[in-house]
Amino acid sequence: MIRFGPGNLRIPKFEKPVYVVAGGLTDFRKKYPEKNSCELCMEAMRMAVEENDLKVEPEEFRRMVNWVVYSQFADHFGDQLLAAAKIHDYLGFDPLGNIEVKTGGATGGSAVLAAAQAVASGYADCVPVVGWERMDEVSTRVGNSYIASAACKDFESELGWMYAAYYALMAQRYQHENNVPRESLAKIACKNHEYARYSPFSQNPGHYTIQDILANDIVSDPLSFLECCVMSVGAAVLILCDEKVAHQLSDQPMRLSAICGGSHTLRTADRRHMPILLLPNETEETYRHYFEGRRHEWPGFSSFLASRMAAYLAYHMAGIQDPLADFDLLETHDAFTISDIQTYEDIGLRPYGRGREFIESGDAYYEGRLPTNLSGGLIGTMHAVGATGIFQLVEVLWQLQGKYDRFHGDPRMWARYGKTKPADWRSLQVKNPKRACAISHAGTGSHVTCAILERP
Amino acid sequence: MAIEWPTTTLEVWNEEPLGVKNPKTWAHYHSYGGWGRFFRGLEQSRLLATRCTNPRCAEKRLWLPPRTGCPDCWHPMEWVDAPQEGTIFTFSTVKYPGELFKLPAGTPLISVELPGVCTKIMSWLKDGTPRFGMKVKAVFNTRKPTHTILDLAWVPAE
Repeated sequence: MIRFGPGNLRIPKFEKPVYVVAGGLTDFRKKYPEKNSCELCMEAMRMAVEENDLKVEPEEFRRMVNWVVYSQFADHFGDQLLAAAKIHDYLGFDPLGNIEVKTGGATGGSAVLAAAQAVASGYADCVPVVGWERMDEVSTRVGNSYIASAACKDFESELGWMYAAYYALMAQRYQHENNVPRESLAKIACKNHEYARYSPFSQNPGHYTIQDILANDIVSDPLSFLECCVMSVGAAVLILCDEKVAHQLSDQPMRLSAICGGSHTLRTADRRHMPILLLPNETEETYRHYFEGRRHEWPGFSSFLASRMAAYLAYHMAGIQDPLADFDLLETHDAFTISDIQTYEDIGLRPYGRGREFIESGDAYYEGRLPTNLSGGLIGTMHAVGATGIFQLVEVLWQLQGKYDRFHGDPRMWARYGKTKPADWRSLQVKNPKRACAISHAGTGSHVTCAILERP
Repeated sequence: MAIEWPTTTLEVWNEEPLGVKNPKTWAHYHSYGGWGRFFRGLEQSRLLATRCTNPRCAEKRLWLPPRTGCPDCWHPMEWVDAPQEGTIFTFSTVKYPGELFKLPAGTPLISVELPGVCTKIMSWLKDGTPRFGMKVKAVFNTRKPTHTILDLAWVPAE
C-alpha cells in the first residue's frame, strides 16, 4: 500500500509565470547519416529562432540567453558521454551554464520542467531546451537491447531485451481485466499513422485499415509492429522565457501554466496497490464498482500511477476541472497503442476501465472533443527519445499560435526534407484552441510529466 | 625515434558522408552486490525473497525481486524462502526479442503472483502455453547456471 504524507501531494507553484515563445524541429528518420547530432540540434535551433516570428535577429537572441537545458535519453546510442557540452559549444552558448536531463522516455518533458523551474524561480529568464537522439549507430536489435537497458538489468532486461514485451505484458493484463476489443487499440495506430501523413517531419506515415494493423506482424503478442513507436534520429528545440522577455521576443507567447512530474517503480513487478488518487473530475462514486470482476487492485499492471500523479498535480496547479472540457488538444506519449488507452484513464479523459471509449467515441480525432496526437505522435511521426517531449510541446505551441499550416502545409517545408506534400494533404489546425496538454512518459511508467500550455 | 601510424583501421561503411564502424567488444564487470544471494540461491533451487526486520515497519511485505533495504522504512531486510508455487498474472510471447536475449524467440514471458509476496515477479514459462490464473511452479537452472534471472523459470503445476 502506498500512503501519502501531507507533503507528498503539495501542489507545485511557479514564483513567476513561465512562457513558451518558439519551437523548432528537424525531420525524423530511422537513419540520418547525412547530419551529425550537433548539426541536427543547430537545425532545430535555427527553425525555433528564425521561423517563429521572433522580433529579434538570431545574433541578438543568442545574447539574451542565460541558461540552457539539454535533453538526451541514452549515451549508449550516441556513443558520446557529455554530448551536451559538445552541442552547447556547437550552438555557440559557451560559457553560459547548462544541464543535461535524463529521465528515459520522459527526458524531453523533464527537460522542459527543469527549464520552467529555472524561469519560474527567477534563476534565468531566457532558456532554450534542446533535445535530440541518434538511434541509428546500431542495428534495430541492438537498439532494442539498449532501450531494454532502461528496464532493471538485474531482474528484467534479460527477459527479452525488448521493451515492447514489457508493454505487451501490461496489454494482456489490461485486456483481461477490461475486455477491450483489439480493434479499439488498432484504431489508435490507424489514427496516428494517418495524421503523420500530413506532417513533413514524420518518419512512419501510412494509410492503414484496422485489418492492416491487426494482420501486421506481431512483435510481442498482442502488439504488432504498427502499434509500436518508431526508433528515430532527430532534434527538437523549445524556448522558455519569463513574461518580460516573452513579450520582447514574441507577439504570441503561450503560457506554461503547469508542468509537473510523477514516478513509479522501474520494475512493473514491484507496483503495490493503493486507493485510486482522484482527479478533480472524479469522486469515490466514479469507482464504486471498479473493483469487481477481474480488477482487484490499483494501479496494478493496467494503470500508470506516475501519469495519474503528474496529472493530479498539473490539473490542480493550472485549475483544470475537467480535462475533456478544458483542453482543446492533447499530445500523449503513444509509445504503444496499449499505453495510450491506459493514459486516457490516468489523465481522466475517461474513468479507469473505460479508456477505450475515448477513441471509440471519436473524441480523440481531429474535430472530436479533444483531438489527440495531431502531430502523428510516436507511432506515426517520431520517437527520437530525448527530443520527443519537446517535439510534443513544439507541435502544441504551433497549434495554439494557429501555425499548423505554416509548418505542415507549406510545400517548401516538404521539399526541405526531400519529400512531396501529399495531394490529399489536409489541415489539422484546431479551430481557435486555447489550452493544450502534453504527456511525456518513460519506462513502463517510471517517470511522467504533464504539461499544460495555454493562451495567456 | 618516430612513432609509426596505427595499424588498426576503422572499416568505412559509408563513403558520402564518411561513416566508420567502431567495434565494441569489451566486458562490463557487473556486481549484484547484496542481491547476489538471490542469484546464488537459484543455483540451489531456492527462491529467496526479503522481508523488513523493523518491528515498527507498517507493511512487512515479502519482496521478490529482493531488496536489502526496506522501501518503506529504509531498514535492513532479512532473507526468507518464498513460495515456489503461484499463478500467472499476465504473459506475452516475445517474437522479436532484442540482441543479447539468451532464449529462443517465441519464449513466453510471464508475471507470477505468489501467495504472500507483494510483487509479481517477471519470469519465463519453460513448458506449456500460458493463460491467466494458470498454476505454475518454479524450476531452476542448477546444472549450468547463467547467473542471471533466467536461471529461474516456471512450469505448469496442474
